[in-house]
Amino acid sequence: MSSSREVRSPPAPKMKGLEQSFLYQRRQMAHAQARELAASNARTPLHEKDFQAEFDKIQEIMNEVGGVTPLPKTPRSFAPNLAPPWQIRSPQAERMRELSMNLGASECSRCHEGFEPNEKVLNSNGELWHPQCFVCVQCFRPFPEGVFYEFEGRKYCEHDFQVLFAPCCGKCGEFIIGRVIKALNANWHPLCFRCNMCDKELADLGFIKNAGRALCHECNAHVKAAAIGKHICYKCKQVIEEGLLRFRGEVYHPYHFNCASCSVELNSDAREVTTSRPGYSANQVNELYCLRCHDKMGIPICGACRRPIEERVVTALGKQWHVEHFVCAKCEKPFLGHRHYERKGLAYCETHYHQLFGNLCFVCNQVISGDVFTCLNKAWCADHFACALCDTKLNQKSKFFEFDQKPACKKCYEKLPIELRRRLKRMHEEQAKKGSV
Amino acid sequence: MGSMEQGSVSCNFLSAKMAKVKRVIDDARDTQNPELDLVDKGIASFEEMPGLFALANITRLSLSHNKIESLPPAIANLEHLEILNLFNNHIEDLPTSLSSMPNLRILNLGMNRLSKLPRGFGAFPVLEVLDLTYNNLNERALPGNFFMIESLRALYLGDNDFEFIPPEVGMLKNLQILVLRDNDIILLPKEIGDLQRLRELHIQGNRLLVLPPEIGTLDLVGSKSVLRMENNPWVTPIADQLQVGVSHVIEYIRSETYKYLYSRQMAAGVPPPPPISDKSKKISRKKEN
Ligand SMILES: [Zn+2]
Ligand SMILES: [Zn+2]
Ligand SMILES: [Zn+2]
Ligand SMILES: [Zn+2]
Ligand SMILES: [Zn+2]
Ligand SMILES: [Zn+2]
Ligand SMILES: [Zn+2]
Ligand SMILES: [Zn+2]
Repeated sequence: MSSSREVRSPPAPKMKGLEQSFLYQRRQMAHAQARELAASNARTPLHEKDFQAEFDKIQEIMNEVGGVTPLPKTPRSFAPNLAPPWQIRSPQAERMRELSMNLGASECSRCHEGFEPNEKVLNSNGELWHPQCFVCVQCFRPFPEGVFYEFEGRKYCEHDFQVLFAPCCGKCGEFIIGRVIKALNANWHPLCFRCNMCDKELADLGFIKNAGRALCHECNAHVKAAAIGKHICYKCKQVIEEGLLRFRGEVYHPYHFNCASCSVELNSDAREVTTSRPGYSANQVNELYCLRCHDKMGIPICGACRRPIEERVVTALGKQWHVEHFVCAKCEKPFLGHRHYERKGLAYCETHYHQLFGNLCFVCNQVISGDVFTCLNKAWCADHFACALCDTKLNQKSKFFEFDQKPACKKCYEKLPIELRRRLKRMHEEQAKKGSV
Repeated sequence: MGSMEQGSVSCNFLSAKMAKVKRVIDDARDTQNPELDLVDKGIASFEEMPGLFALANITRLSLSHNKIESLPPAIANLEHLEILNLFNNHIEDLPTSLSSMPNLRILNLGMNRLSKLPRGFGAFPVLEVLDLTYNNLNERALPGNFFMIESLRALYLGDNDFEFIPPEVGMLKNLQILVLRDNDIILLPKEIGDLQRLRELHIQGNRLLVLPPEIGTLDLVGSKSVLRMENNPWVTPIADQLQVGVSHVIEYIRSETYKYLYSRQMAAGVPPPPPISDKSKKISRKKEN
């Protein structure tokens, strides 16, 4: 420190290309293995014969680097694909001493030159160094905050260690900084480790290894049940041993439901009845009846094909229909739960109702029976023709302004910011000019 | 002395205002009127509307032209509400509970100060008309499920800050009206062509050079359709057709010539023109104080 002698620089370091590094090669290999594993998982068919699931554990390691936490810090272990043969040293744990004693025959661990008397010497774990030789083998710079990572006898700064050896995600191939999920012989970002079937994140739920894939508990149960020809109840997620009930497209244990008419607990003979209300898509009513009540209602006969309906029944237009036989009177496409519109005992899809009869109210979206207000490419029933900005009712005599093809009353229009009114006015003038061409 | 007088004056004013609001709410309760109008009443907060949440049966609540800054989660207690109009207020945040309202069909949040929408905003079960005109929204402000509101008939996003429209927009299968007027949109996704029910498309006042040819599959030029596309830096062939009318533009983008031009344009990656309009003066911007 006090000496002002010339410092001999260490022998010019030979910089090896990254691809020649043994470690880099090993990492690339592990990476390729992970990719292959992912690819072979993708190839595994769902009805894999070997459905025997193994419980596998997620191991996690917090991987805190990148200068988020300030000193003092003890570098934590990284979690690469391989057993960690490296050591990590912290100057806090093991203070490097500056020795100023006569070191006689000692030499620098790096350049193998001796030390001049009074020269500053670094001692790290018994090895001696010129201060200028105690640097990262990759970037040849001193270790920031004195923190270094040692691997196979070489010392790396935190940054280069990270770049060279930080774990790679088995899915996206990117470095993992922060939380590392170790599972299926690879490392994963928490967001990248997902159920192979439903894509749910598994980091916090745990997973089951099934034919080399990671599955969530639910999907695993499904796969297992499917393999023995059984279903899983949508409600309790247990296997349905015998007698299932289909309801709104899902399967259930029948005993989760009661008959809509007599309240008896249902068995697998129960029937689903759908009532379809015109104009609504969300308000379709599905109900379950026990066979007795269902038969009392009479075996339903399809209003189109005149045959009995065994499965789902749609009730609409005062009749009952096979789901696939309740169709638009114009295009004959089944509604399949989509909204329909009725007129004179016939049902139409929205497109064809519009085409044939026009005029659904913009506000209530119902067929307009009484007076109709039509303007701005829309129609309103008398009750619903109102300012779109304040809901004040409008009539034939009201003065209103067009705002994005909606009516705005004079009061509201005058409350709009001047710059917006100016833009709207300009747009109108352009539109009018074009109209007159 | 002077300041004290001022204080008492504004206090009287506040109570007078609140008394008025209270009368409207009491009336609605007594007459069982399911529609409540509290437009332009100087209301700054839901606390100034005592008894509102007890009106469990109202179907319409119009609160346009007030100074409301936030919507309490309890709004979702109004289970029968079908129409909620909050046009021209000072709202910056929305509660997550809003999207759970079981009967809400029409929601007007136009001219507020929204810069983001809450997580799960797209969970509305029966929403048909969503008006977000004149806020501070862009593609990064939309939650992941925004385009899952399958029941949506009309979506108003005019006067916002979008540069891109996510391709998920194609999931809005029931959409008839899409307003994107006066944003900063550089490119429209081809998925707009999936909106087979679309009858109104407003894309005027953006930074568009080209249209995806898929838009040519939509019925946007019939007698019951609206297509507004002026004030964009269109490539010359589109600009030329637009001179004669939008139907000519649609006819042109259906041609093989245009499809070729479009693919060339996409491959070349022509940089979009810079934004033109200065939006810093918009009243939707947060006020400094
Ligand atoms: Zn280094
Ligand atoms: Zn990843
Ligand atoms: Zn799963
Ligand atoms: Zn069950
Ligand atoms: Zn039939
Ligand atoms: Zn049809
Ligand atoms: Zn109506
Ligand atoms: Zn108005």
